Amino acid sequence: MRLSYLAALALSTLLVNANVVEIVEGLPYVKVEAEGKTYKIERAQDPNGYLTNTFALTSRPSPPFFIEPFSVDEGIETYGELEVLDFISKKQGIFIDARLGNWYAKSAIPSAVNIPFKLFLSETTEREKILKDLGAAYTKSGKWNFSNAKTILLYCNGAWCGQSPTAINALIEIGYPKSKMKYYRGGMQAWQLLGLTTIVPKETK
Amino acid sequence: MKIIAFIVLCVVSAAAGKYDKVKITPDMASIYVYHKGKAVKVHRIQDTKHKLTGEYARVYRPGKDIQPIKMHKDIQTIAEVELLKFMKTKGNKKKGLLVDLRPKTAYQKESIPSAVNIPAKVKDNKAKVEKILKVLGAKRLADGSLDTSKVMEVAFYCNGLWCDKSSEFIKVFLALGYPADKMYYYRGGFQMWKILGFTTVTN
Repeated sequence: MRLSYLAALALSTLLVNANVVEIVEGLPYVKVEAEGKTYKIERAQDPNGYLTNTFALTSRPSPPFFIEPFSVDEGIETYGELEVLDFISKKQGIFIDARLGNWYAKSAIPSAVNIPFKLFLSETTEREKILKDLGAAYTKSGKWNFSNAKTILLYCNGAWCGQSPTAINALIEIGYPKSKMKYYRGGMQAWQLLGLTTIVPKETK
Repeated sequence: MKIIAFIVLCVVSAAAGKYDKVKITPDMASIYVYHKGKAVKVHRIQDTKHKLTGEYARVYRPGKDIQPIKMHKDIQTIAEVELLKFMKTKGNKKKGLLVDLRPKTAYQKESIPSAVNIPAKVKDNKAKVEKILKVLGAKRLADGSLDTSKVMEVAFYCNGLWCDKSSEFIKVFLALGYPADKMYYYRGGFQMWKILGFTTVTN
């Protein structure tokens, strides 16, 4: 009796650990760290898994929603999910969720920090602080120096979301180096369509 | 006659665009493409409450690796806006071909307008591949080499972000000498096309 119980437990543990749906073959999950926490990013294992939430909506009114081109700008790399996972697991820079706070609060990609795109659009003390946090320095001549700025990767809701491209364009305008900006176009929609892990972040700042 | 039909088409499409609630880009609500000789309006579902259901809303894809954003350093990855431009400027003028690499049954059920079906497994059939190359404008020369100076541009797609058929097929074409700058990879594939509410056709 006890043995069979143990066997069942062992089997269930085995089943839980073995992901049938892997990110790519041989890579069942990726671990990322953010603010002292470790998150396991994997794909949904439920055989009856369908996308049914608001991200299953096909058509959003334009304006403001239009389909974004593949790339924001010639000098800015567009990332897919594997490139995003590489970026965040190896901590290659700052992963930015450029959506408004209410979207981020509902669900986001693990390790992303929320900097709503609007904060990049005009010269405010808030933007100054953000740019400094990203490693930019304000020079005496009144210009930004980005030589120590971190690489940033931005995303928003998906192919029909203009928020991260808008933020990137605003940053290009003030001189943030294109080589230090990446764009995850698929965003929350493609991420969830692939069954990748999302989290409900704690209170935003 | 043809000219009149064309003008009518232009007027209709311009008028229709004005009232589209769900557009593609700020200056494009729809385009017309030719699917098996017939003009098809490609636009997006206008019902803003419509949700994708069925097979292409399925998340569970065991054994299907997520594909990298770039399948080869010289092959351009494109998305919907670039694909539509390709359909309009290349496909409509017979300078380019959109190829659906999914199995025949999937294609028959539903495909992107203007796409022709070349099931990916065809790549293992030398005679068929040779025939396809010929249709695309490549010439096999007497010395066995391939003259690709007049080939069409080809855009490939399959099921989507987790489907490797496009990259596998493009690799075969690259190995055969098909020019990299004449091929495009629509990585989003049929699933992204569907989730953005784009027009599909049955075959």
